Amino acid sequence: MPGILIVASALEGSMGRSSVELTGAARNLAGPLSLPMSAALVGQGRGIGQAVETLQQYGVQTVYRCEHPALTPGQSDAVLAALDLVVTKAQPELVLISADTVGREVAPRLAYRLRAALATEVMSLAVDGRAVMARRQVYGGRAIATLEVTARPAVISVKPRAFDVPQPQPVRGTVEEISLTIDPEALPTRVREAQSERAEVGLDDAQVVVGGGRGVGGPEGFKLLEELAAALGGAVGSSRPPADEGWVPITWQIGQTGKSIRPNLYVAVGISGAAQHVAGVSGSRTIVAINKDPEAPIFSLAHYGIVGDFRQVVPALVAKIKAAKGA
Amino acid sequence: MDTIVCLKQVVDPELPQWDFAIDPATKRQVRMGKPLVISTYDENALELALQLKEKTGGKVTALTLGPQGEVKDAVRLALAMGADEAVVIDDPQSPQRLAADKASVLAAAIKRIGRFDLVLTGCESADWVERAMAPFLAEALGAACVTFISRAESRDGALSVRRTSEEGFQTVDVRLPAVLSVTSDEAIRPRLPKVKDIMAAMRKPVANWTRADLGAEDAGGAKGVEVKDVSIPERTTKVEFLEGEPAEQAEALVARLRALKIL
Amino acid sequence: MSITLLRGAIVLLMLTVAAGVSARKLWRVYRLIRLGDGPVPLQPIGRRLSHLVIEVIGHTKVFRRFSSGLLHLFIFWGFLVLLSTIIQVFGEAFVPGWTLPVIGREPWFVLLQDVFIVLVLIGVAMALYLRLVVRPWRLVTQDQFGAYLILGFITGIMTSLLLSRATGIALGHAGWAGGAIVSRAVAGWFEGISTPVIRGVFEAAWWVHIGIVLYFLTWIPEGKHLHLITLGPNVYFQKARPRGALAAVDIETAERLGASRAEDFTWKDNLDVFACMECGRCTEVCPASNTGKELDPRRLHTDLRKQLTAVGAQLLAEVPPDEIKRPALVGEVFSEAFLWQCLSCGACVEECPAGNDHIDKIVGMRRHLVMEEARLPENMEQALRSMEARGHPFRGAAVTRTAWTAGVQVKRLDQGATAEWLLWVGCAAALNERNHPSMRALVSLLHAAGMDFGILGDAEVCTGDPARRIGNEYLFQTMAKQNIATLGRFGVRRIVTICPHCYNTFKNEYPQFGGQYEVWHHTQLLARLLEEGRLRPNGSLRTAVTFHDPCYLGRHNGEYDAPRRVLGAIPGISTVEMAQCRDKAFCCGAGGGLYWFEDRTGERVSHARTRHVAATGAQIVATACPFCTLMLEDAAAATNATARPVDIAELLAQSMGPGA
Repeated sequence: MPGILIVASALEGSMGRSSVELTGAARNLAGPLSLPMSAALVGQGRGIGQAVETLQQYGVQTVYRCEHPALTPGQSDAVLAALDLVVTKAQPELVLISADTVGREVAPRLAYRLRAALATEVMSLAVDGRAVMARRQVYGGRAIATLEVTARPAVISVKPRAFDVPQPQPVRGTVEEISLTIDPEALPTRVREAQSERAEVGLDDAQVVVGGGRGVGGPEGFKLLEELAAALGGAVGSSRPPADEGWVPITWQIGQTGKSIRPNLYVAVGISGAAQHVAGVSGSRTIVAINKDPEAPIFSLAHYGIVGDFRQVVPALVAKIKAAKGA
Repeated sequence: MDTIVCLKQVVDPELPQWDFAIDPATKRQVRMGKPLVISTYDENALELALQLKEKTGGKVTALTLGPQGEVKDAVRLALAMGADEAVVIDDPQSPQRLAADKASVLAAAIKRIGRFDLVLTGCESADWVERAMAPFLAEALGAACVTFISRAESRDGALSVRRTSEEGFQTVDVRLPAVLSVTSDEAIRPRLPKVKDIMAAMRKPVANWTRADLGAEDAGGAKGVEVKDVSIPERTTKVEFLEGEPAEQAEALVARLRALKIL
Repeated sequence: MSITLLRGAIVLLMLTVAAGVSARKLWRVYRLIRLGDGPVPLQPIGRRLSHLVIEVIGHTKVFRRFSSGLLHLFIFWGFLVLLSTIIQVFGEAFVPGWTLPVIGREPWFVLLQDVFIVLVLIGVAMALYLRLVVRPWRLVTQDQFGAYLILGFITGIMTSLLLSRATGIALGHAGWAGGAIVSRAVAGWFEGISTPVIRGVFEAAWWVHIGIVLYFLTWIPEGKHLHLITLGPNVYFQKARPRGALAAVDIETAERLGASRAEDFTWKDNLDVFACMECGRCTEVCPASNTGKELDPRRLHTDLRKQLTAVGAQLLAEVPPDEIKRPALVGEVFSEAFLWQCLSCGACVEECPAGNDHIDKIVGMRRHLVMEEARLPENMEQALRSMEARGHPFRGAAVTRTAWTAGVQVKRLDQGATAEWLLWVGCAAALNERNHPSMRALVSLLHAAGMDFGILGDAEVCTGDPARRIGNEYLFQTMAKQNIATLGRFGVRRIVTICPHCYNTFKNEYPQFGGQYEVWHHTQLLARLLEEGRLRPNGSLRTAVTFHDPCYLGRHNGEYDAPRRVLGAIPGISTVEMAQCRDKAFCCGAGGGLYWFEDRTGERVSHARTRHVAATGAQIVATACPFCTLMLEDAAAATNATARPVDIAELLAQSMGPGA
């Protein structure tokens, strides 16, 4: 039955949040296009049964259950083999995949095999007539592009966290078992080892950067900033004065004479906002400034400002972030 | 190991914000008179290819698709860094094309180049960020595919690569031939060419092909996807001050960051 | 055989041996020097000779330290005058009582000789006082043994000379003694002493004198004493002013780029190292050395001399290249940090009494690092990459090249306008908002004076200066040729620029590639416009200002007065000079490409400069270079200094009152 197929992943033994987000994304389209929603559930382990229930909780009518020991984290080739079978059976009009490690490999390859249209890294979805309107960031976040997807089938990869977890909408759906014959030895790629511990995030690549300035006062202050960066999964940088003073390595320096960064979030702590430094961070999507001087020029650049002593604000922030992540 | 590295030239992503403009006709960034650079991760891909070559031997070919007049500098830089030869596919329309469209041309070119063990691309282009080129090429060439890798070493005729994942890193064994997309890493920071290499690059062979040579017809955009609009979001320059005690300020900020999906 | 004949034969033998030993050593030094290549600039003879006379005879450089200068003047002039007595002493070996023909017996000449014997001894006493009591850093860190040895020789030569003259008078066979008041006074001590004793003293003094002189002769071609011979030619062949230009390299044909071995330098560089008398004045004024860094311009020369001597010996002995024993010049003898700490400010060059050029050698080794090995500090590499890709070294600049023109009227040559003058903005002024007010002030002044000028706008790219100082001669030449083509396309002949680095490059370096322009620094043009009455400041600023000399305007181009004339024309301003001003000015810390990377060892150069400013009590530090403005602004903020930098153009514009 043609419809919207989401790719739900239980590769780690249970289904994660991003698969549920996909049901929300699919719902945006399913209603206006009058299409049923199905899911290809790929994975292994005991959590699969729970995953089927969760998908039905969120309105998935048909679950194509693909269970195989080879469907483990990072095994894109195995996932693709499973999806090949599912799409042959389901003949979907639209396939939604989370643009995660596996999804960003699988989505274009599936599109190629289906001769389907492709839109990747989509942030929001809407319908205009029969067309799917997909919005995504381009030019390093400087612009937003709207893609009109008219062809069918189409594969759309959705940026994790772009959609909220929707309200549950339970349905009594059906489950179709897909029998898989995958020979792991025959797959061209094999994940040998996974390190869940994140190695230190480089300043150039970090999506979150905490920058410290003269106001941080010394190397001890930067310890607090490192805690904040760790809580946010980001890296620590600095403006010129701390690097000059030797509080931090010179490789941490951001600005005209240092690195130029454009993370999703930049938190400027104790940084006045000299043009020299601003030049290196103005491409950041969201800027938060923490400074005790309400007149500091950094506030004219920031989206959110906190006037106060970072020695109090930063620990409070670390606590709240940890609490929010735990929730 | 014979490697083909796909390089794309883009308008300098570090251009000041007020030099950044969208051409309403092409719905792409205005290119005229702006400095062009090799897209960030493509240089990492080239560096990785060169390091593999230094260890295992073989040949590195730089492959680029773009308006011929514009891509010369990119090709020269690649050759100066150490690529053995270069292929330029002239396509004045390439800045307007999406990955699916360009992948078919690049795949045709790679087939024409002939033997290869490895094709490397950047993990994403600095302009359109589709992250789709390596998987497309892998399909078109019938090769293995791993994306977002930062390290690779040769191991019994296959490769062992390090892929960046949400949780950290995965070590993946890949059979050859393979198409890999490369992200950045301190170990593959692009090298600065020596002057004698720059001079030597002037004498290295560059093949100039056209889209038509490769038999790619002008599809005019990827199949069934059209760019309707590209807009620059209005920047709200007004800062929102978060008031209260530190704990309240922190609470308020966390709420904002969750709303923005950063947390 | 008569006594006289025997004496003559012995002296002749001694002289032959000593001269032979000395000549052998000198020949060796000559061959070591000639291991280097490079042109031999004999022309223009007149200017070079007069320079030689002024610097060597006039001791202008030596006198930059007064007491050292005076004592050295005594000894040096004493050496010139008393050459005559040395010749006479040797003459006496053959003809007793022989003197120089014509003047040898003139009372005034004899008096002169006597006076200089005393002055030289005074000079030696002053030198001993300096070394033993004052003990300045530069002298206590020197080869002390050599210094005392030379002072001992001089003392020995003088006392033996004086004794032989005095005893000669006492013995009555000095018919020339009329003018010798000192010798005669000493002769008085011998009254009442028996003639044989006096004769004995005479003989002893005479032989000691000849012995020391000859022994000294064999010593001269070693170590720092060699400057007696090498300094003259070194000053003669010194790079002609302006010294801002670095030598061009033919990239296409050069076998090796830059210097990484002792024999890779030019013959003049080699002559430099043999002319160095290790006085340490270079290190004493070096901003890097003064802020606790490793760079030591004196060691640059002494270690190069050691390397050239050791490696050169093997080369001259035709040891096969791969068997030559040597430490790595770049990395071992001189660490990379040492080489990257140089600001190319020229303070050492200005100071050097031997006429040495330190910058050429350091840039030579940087060229090797950058062009042959592609190894340089990351931030410098980023600046160079940015120059290549974007035409400017300020990676991540948040503004466009013409952003500063918002709200001011400026002709755009790149948009078809024509003008008599090109206002060259330069990247440091255009791409750093901190300098935009200076640019707008300058434009308002040029308009007020009715100047016909325009800018190149988007067609302007970096002159290439940072690349050249960092050592990427290839990139510099590429950019220079590109700029010369651009300037030619727009028919540019007269250029005014706010940046002394651009100024220096246009004026002194582009001619190497056929770019000839009339180049003015903005302070020079403003001074001229004030003198012509085309600018009439009226508003009083009532503030105390000190002027910070940019290295590339001052030392490298000799322009110290124009900026001061402009300041002097502004009503109400009182100027106060720093102790380190004009040719003794201390760099802001940005020169030599160090704006992009400064070694963090020790104090920041800019912070040290801020202390100099603070010592004057001035409220404003006037600048004439956008780099200095950026550095001093950051340093003032970092050190909570009160005096902030303001470009001279801005100060002048403020005094022009509203509407100007």
